Amino acid sequence: MTEELLRTAGVRAGYVPSVDVLRDLDFAVDAGQSVGVLAPNGGGKTTLFRTLLGELTPRAGDVTLDAPVAAVPQGDHARLDFPVTALDVTLMGAYARTPWYRRIAKADRERAEAALERVGMADRRDARYGTLSGGQRRRVLIARALLQDARILLLDEPFAGVDRTSEERILHVLDELVAEGRALLIATHDVEQARRWDRVLCLNGRQVAFGPPADTLTAPILRETYGAELVVVGDGDGEEAICAPHHDCGGH
Amino acid sequence: MSIFDRALLEAVLLGAACGPLGLWILAFRQSYAAESLSHAMLPGLALAAIAGAPLLLGAAGGIGVAAVVIALAARDRRIGADLAVAVTVTTVFGAGVLLANTPEIPPKLADILFGDLLGVTDADLIAAAVLALGTAAGLASGHRALAVAVHDPQAARALGTNPARVQAALLVALAAAMVVAVQGLGNLLVVAVIVAPPIVAQRLARTLMAQVVAAGVVGAAGGALGVVVSDRLSLAAGASVALVLTFAALLAVTLRSAGGEQRHARSPIEALGG
Amino acid sequence: MPEFLTRALIEVLLLSVAGGLLGTWIVLRRLAFFTHAAGSATFPGLVVASPWGIPAQVAALGAGLLYAGGLERLVRKRNVAPDAATALLLVLALAGGTILASDAYPAGAGVDRLLFGTLLGLTDGDLAMSAAVAVAALAGTAALGRTWLATGFDPQAAPALHIRTGRGDALLLAGLALTVVAALPAVGALLVGTLLVVPAATARLLTDRLRTLQLLAVTLAAAEGVGGLLLAYQYDLPPGPAIALLGGAAYALAAVAATKR
Repeated sequence: MTEELLRTAGVRAGYVPSVDVLRDLDFAVDAGQSVGVLAPNGGGKTTLFRTLLGELTPRAGDVTLDAPVAAVPQGDHARLDFPVTALDVTLMGAYARTPWYRRIAKADRERAEAALERVGMADRRDARYGTLSGGQRRRVLIARALLQDARILLLDEPFAGVDRTSEERILHVLDELVAEGRALLIATHDVEQARRWDRVLCLNGRQVAFGPPADTLTAPILRETYGAELVVVGDGDGEEAICAPHHDCGGH
Repeated sequence: MSIFDRALLEAVLLGAACGPLGLWILAFRQSYAAESLSHAMLPGLALAAIAGAPLLLGAAGGIGVAAVVIALAARDRRIGADLAVAVTVTTVFGAGVLLANTPEIPPKLADILFGDLLGVTDADLIAAAVLALGTAAGLASGHRALAVAVHDPQAARALGTNPARVQAALLVALAAAMVVAVQGLGNLLVVAVIVAPPIVAQRLARTLMAQVVAAGVVGAAGGALGVVVSDRLSLAAGASVALVLTFAALLAVTLRSAGGEQRHARSPIEALGG
Repeated sequence: MPEFLTRALIEVLLLSVAGGLLGTWIVLRRLAFFTHAAGSATFPGLVVASPWGIPAQVAALGAGLLYAGGLERLVRKRNVAPDAATALLLVLALAGGTILASDAYPAGAGVDRLLFGTLLGLTDGDLAMSAAVAVAALAGTAALGRTWLATGFDPQAAPALHIRTGRGDALLLAGLALTVVAALPAVGALLVGTLLVVPAATARLLTDRLRTLQLLAVTLAAAEGVGGLLLAYQYDLPPGPAIALLGGAAYALAAVAATKR
């Protein structure tokens, strides 16, 4: 019996009063489902995430969340010179439930260490966060989201600029999280990778499509999503490899 | 020339020179550097006064030393440019105050800090005139390089200009301007003539070139008005110029918001640029 | 030891608590220019305090709050770049203070004291305020340290972690304003950085761990403060600049030590 964790119905959202950045959001995600989110820059991915996190109130429609949500950001706005270790950053996930007059609970410390273990960063837990590689930092941020007890995770391009080891590790962890019954929304520009997720959500100022990869990762829909920037490469076998802009398709 | 006329001419020349320079300083977000350079001059000025050397020389030397120290301090990533400037300037300024407190100094500390517009000499006027002409020529010929370096550093490199070098050259010009302006306005107030006219100009004119020219006009006019106010109301001259200019900036800002990126800051401190 | 010197030493020791603790955040959150400008902004308040019959701290705080409020309006509502707005308000305050000091309420040599501090004439009120600020800094660090850390580390992600960024930062700025005002009698309006910025910056060169950074900042502020005060007493100097020199020397030594690591 699948449990629905997240549903949007007729959602519109924006920042400036007269301009909608995102419209027609109508999708639902069950526990144990992974959703790839494809959108061009400015297409509404950030707006979607902020709305789901509760930072932005939708102008119309309903967002129903039946479980806690956490974000795994790209982290490029983080101050890498800050005197914080990987463990410190992970522990930030427990700040919300620690009142200002309490110290961080020992139980939370242990859980943070366990979370780092899960993402394969236990041995670097005392390393200063800024000294870690991009992929290692991404893994720490996943650990932080785990500490928040989130069942819905919003991952913002978790593989962008990440080394091979980290990429494999992250994929492994994500698969585990899905198997545990969490819901993942993974923003990505990697169309080929999006095929491995359960569903794909295409955005371009509005919901262009939502459904299984076979139905959504078609040339017409992708063209509608990415506009004229889309590159379609034939590889001689009659199969098309589709490359979205902003993504380095060379290595894949 | 009467004292009043000299002061007026000096103020106009300084305003005309520093206003346009200030526009670029604001565009490159270097107001802090401007403020700090002015403080950093103090020990040089004090030493020059003690030694009986021309203040210009002292100011120049002081800024030179400070710039080197700042560059060294800024190399540590955890400290960064802003903090390096803060530490250097605090130390250097403190040293300057101690030097200026020695009995050997003929001019009082107050003159060095707040300027002595009424004591302007022919040499000062000539220096100001040279500065005005020099900055006009420099900014005119460097206009394109500056504009590209500010708005699109990537394109700048493609076009063959190095944005870092352009910014460095700008700061050197700033240092020169301050060395000349410190006579009239003093260490603490000289930043007024750098920062205020551009703020007005940005709200008066649309195109970049027009803003540069407007900054010069506003600077000159503000300088003149300040001297007149000082004379009529018997107020300290340098401070009057600074006040007139800053009031003009506040007025301009209240009457007209400049366009430009509305940054969405999530916290008060982030909004402060920190 | 003369009584006034004992007072001054106690004052500086008390100030080093807030100076080091909040100074850590000044360094980490890039508030050095803001702090220096806040100090300078109190100058006109200090000038009019005596003639208007207001306690100096109240006048200074008033001027400081005007500066902070003005800065907020200029940056948020009027779209002025933060560094330009800070410089503008700073020079406005200094120019205003100058006119007030030289023409309206001629303070003469008293201006030096306001700008660079004094060993003499520290009142019980000054000591009480420094003690209160020390307590506030300790309390604030204990209660809000995590908030300040998370907000500074990644301000964009902090709201998603349910960190109250607005409230935390407002309280930090308030604490800074109070510390600046408390430091004025000892080091003067132009040199608040000697206790609030330089010691913490020096500490930052020497460690990458937050707790150590805070402790080191407090220790350095205390050492430099006491040392500077004694120098000032010995050679009849204003205390602010004397502390500044020691601070600079300590920073230089730390910078050399840091490159050796």
